[in-house]
Amino acid sequence: MPEETVHKQLQGKGVSRRDFLKLSGLLATAMGLTAVPPLEESGLPASMGVRAQASKMVARALETAQRLPVIWLNFQDCTGCTEAISRSVSPSLTNLVLNTLTIEYHETLSAASGFQVEEAKQQAMAKYAGQYVLVVEGSIPLANDGAYCVIGGRTAIDILKEAAAGAAAIIAVGSCASFGGLPKADPNPTDAKGVWELITDKPVVNIPGCPAIPEATAGTIAHFAIFGALPELDGLHRPMTFYGKTVHDRCLRRPFYEAGKFALSFDDEGAKQGWCLYKLGCKGPTTYSACATIKWDQGLSFPVQSGHPCLGCTEPNFWDGGGFYQGQSAPLNRPAAAAVGAAVGAGAALGIGTALVNNAKKKAKGEEK
Amino acid sequence: MTATKQAYDTLVHETGGWVASQLEACTRCGMCAEACHFYQATGNPEYSPVWKVELLRRAYEQRFTLVGGFKKMIGLEKEITDEDLKHWSELNYYACTVCNKCSMVCPMGIDLGSLLHGVRAGLAAAEVVPDDLMAAVNKQVEEGSPLGMTDSVWDQRLEWIADEWEEDIPRDVQGADTMVVFSSIEVMKFPTNVAAIAKILNKAGEKWTVSSKAREIVNFGFYQGDEKNTKMFLDRVLEGARDLGVKRIVVTECGHAYDALRWHGANWLPEANDFEIIHITGVLGELVGNGRIKLKPGAFDGNGTITFHDACKIQRKGGHIQEPRDILKVIAPNSFKEMTPNREEAICCGGGGGVIAIKAADPQRYAAFGLKIDQVNSVGAKTVTMTCSNCRLQFTDGVEHFKLDWKVTGLAQMVADSLVE
Amino acid sequence: MNPQAMLEFARGPFFYASLLFMIFGLAYRLFTVISLGWSKDRVPDKGSKAGGVVMSFLKGILIWPFIPWVKNTFNRNPLIYIGGGLFHLALFVVIILGTPHMLVWKSLTGLHWATLPLPIVDWMAAVGIIAMILLLINRRINPVLKLISGPAEFLSWLFVFLPMVTGYMMTHHLWLPYENLYALHMLSVDVMMIWIPLSRISHFIFYFFARAIHGAEFGKRGVAV
Repeated sequence: MPEETVHKQLQGKGVSRRDFLKLSGLLATAMGLTAVPPLEESGLPASMGVRAQASKMVARALETAQRLPVIWLNFQDCTGCTEAISRSVSPSLTNLVLNTLTIEYHETLSAASGFQVEEAKQQAMAKYAGQYVLVVEGSIPLANDGAYCVIGGRTAIDILKEAAAGAAAIIAVGSCASFGGLPKADPNPTDAKGVWELITDKPVVNIPGCPAIPEATAGTIAHFAIFGALPELDGLHRPMTFYGKTVHDRCLRRPFYEAGKFALSFDDEGAKQGWCLYKLGCKGPTTYSACATIKWDQGLSFPVQSGHPCLGCTEPNFWDGGGFYQGQSAPLNRPAAAAVGAAVGAGAALGIGTALVNNAKKKAKGEEK
Repeated sequence: MTATKQAYDTLVHETGGWVASQLEACTRCGMCAEACHFYQATGNPEYSPVWKVELLRRAYEQRFTLVGGFKKMIGLEKEITDEDLKHWSELNYYACTVCNKCSMVCPMGIDLGSLLHGVRAGLAAAEVVPDDLMAAVNKQVEEGSPLGMTDSVWDQRLEWIADEWEEDIPRDVQGADTMVVFSSIEVMKFPTNVAAIAKILNKAGEKWTVSSKAREIVNFGFYQGDEKNTKMFLDRVLEGARDLGVKRIVVTECGHAYDALRWHGANWLPEANDFEIIHITGVLGELVGNGRIKLKPGAFDGNGTITFHDACKIQRKGGHIQEPRDILKVIAPNSFKEMTPNREEAICCGGGGGVIAIKAADPQRYAAFGLKIDQVNSVGAKTVTMTCSNCRLQFTDGVEHFKLDWKVTGLAQMVADSLVE
Repeated sequence: MNPQAMLEFARGPFFYASLLFMIFGLAYRLFTVISLGWSKDRVPDKGSKAGGVVMSFLKGILIWPFIPWVKNTFNRNPLIYIGGGLFHLALFVVIILGTPHMLVWKSLTGLHWATLPLPIVDWMAAVGIIAMILLLINRRINPVLKLISGPAEFLSWLFVFLPMVTGYMMTHHLWLPYENLYALHMLSVDVMMIWIPLSRISHFIFYFFARAIHGAEFGKRGVAV
């Protein structure tokens, strides 16, 4: 029943007013609402813009916002992003998205399967044309007319284009849907592409990460559900709220970086002391993600905290960005000894050749005299 | 354009690995200018050593390197012109004594002196050597000496010196150990020096001689930068030594001559290695050191401060740095005072490299001498001694020109005057 | 091209090509000089040539960077000594003892070593940048440097200055996003590597020749250099 407001739905589940306000505050925080979003797009009364408190705004919006239909497509993926969000125990946000918003179609989570569920999707798309949010997980292969990813006899690109046509907004979840992901890794046999490379006439939000942080996914969907508008995005179409700072900027090991204290291997004293993992290839400085602040499993930990350098999974092409354990400042590839040898050899040959010519000139001139 | 062709050919011919690697090392930091007494004295940036070797660099880069060739093609590099040659002739012969002080400050350690010699070779081949210097060279070619010391003049002067100072000067003695070759500057202008050296060697009981064939040690071909002339003048000395069958050749107080014969001779004429070649300063050190001559301690004390001028070719480029000091510490222990900078870092007198022979270079020469005046005055010296008669000529002339009250003398003369009879 | 792609280009194929070009070019320069012929020195030595060479390098290593004021020309133009010295010191500290640069060496050569804390490296970088600016001003006003400087000298300055200043901006996240600055830094480094064999920046190779020759010349004459 998507026409019901979110608030009503929650009331129906026995959520008290007090808990509802608490949830609103939590949501506002989770979405990083430090600034009040543009009111025009959210359709809220203009008076709310004055000294509005983000949590109150969220509460007010939840009271009026309609439930949001969501269609979730999976292509060349590992379902890791779905796994992440469905296993997330973050009580407010993901719960809200999974249980309160209407996911009309999700291959993995739908109880139904086969033609029935495809049928349901067609119906939903027709019913909510222009209103639903399309979430995409996985990259879309174009090689061999899309033959590498076919669902129900239709290619991924075909399915995507059909679903995108009626979407109000598209949210690409995970690095694959955002930037092509591991399927795109060199030599990219399937010619995998991210959504925003293919769909240019709809707003596309990228929530990269491998997997995408569930709170980031849910927060973005919630933002759209609550305010009817997409959050502020960076140049790579990532929400600034979650991708505004680098892992390095917010890293708990950052002081060790500044002090020049580095772990040199995974079992040395530095590693035990929790020193910076930069020399072990951490890509934190160029990786924009909320990993270090939101963390995982209810803020328990994140890779760098647990002792592993950041792989840079929220950045395009991280899969081809040099070795995971190679320093981030290092060049992506180094010339093979043979190439260096060839360069030296060519230089030497040309140099000796030039010198021979020069010596001949010298000699000729010496004799002339 | 034949002049430029000659210049190019010679400059390029001069450029082997030694020169090329040093030209390549230059970073154009301009530090060498700060070491050059001509730049310091005049402030003319064209007198910076790096700019003086510009012709050599251009010839090398344009003819030998791809980048240089490319730069010439697009007009960033200009061919050397006749005007350039004339201009650089003035820079190199008027305002450079090839004293090699610049190589002491070069951060790369480039031995600028040898590069400057290369430039002179190119200029000599292009026949743009200043007239005065060329006249002296021609005189040496024709008469055997740039100062007009012909056979008969030499003969008379030596006879007169021997008479006047009552010192025996053995001539053309076959089988003598040591052949001493005086410079015409000493014979003609500082006869006391000749007498002093004769006195010292006689006192030490050295079996020595002079040669009527090898009567001039000065080498104006080396000043000029012309290989043919340099070799000719060197050969005259070696021939004299060969004829008399001596073991060693002693170069008297002349810097350039010592540089040419001792440090370049064998590379032009391998037979130079048949003889031990040594400067008189080295001989003095040796004789004092092994006690063959005895000096009166403190003989020169009590007449005001004495300072020692390091000659570029004998101390910095010759290595006879310690001997004069050892001697002065004996004969003037209280009054000897060092100038700063000294030893291999010393400032050149400003008259070497043939500069003093060129009348048109007088302004530069006197300007450079100004630095020397300051140096000597700052230690308050009344007497300046040295081991090079070319420096001594410059000092004598400078003292007269600037009306200074210093006494200018030579080390050999001081040693002779303080011998224990 | 977006910054990310530019960065990948500058760290990847362009870096690779520039590095190989630099190696090629330096080999070329080195071999043209080496093969030009070295006339034999037949003059007998007075002192020790080898000793002179050792002294020459020791002086080059010890006096210039650490006690330049013992040179009597120091007072005449201290800026070149101090500016030039600090610039090279900064260069050494930053590209050898800076952690990110050490990782570059490590990835290229497999060798690694301890590095200095960021603030020290950072201050040295600032010193190097200031020194370079002073040296440029000096090059524009000193009469000798004005005379001997052509376009190549200023290009050399620029191609060294750009990596330094972009590197500094990158460390401090100034004005542009980090990876944009990183991309610019790498691009400028690549351009510099191409420029090195074409210019006098390659003095770091010929330095050894000149110092050795100087040492041998003075050593054979028995002059402490």
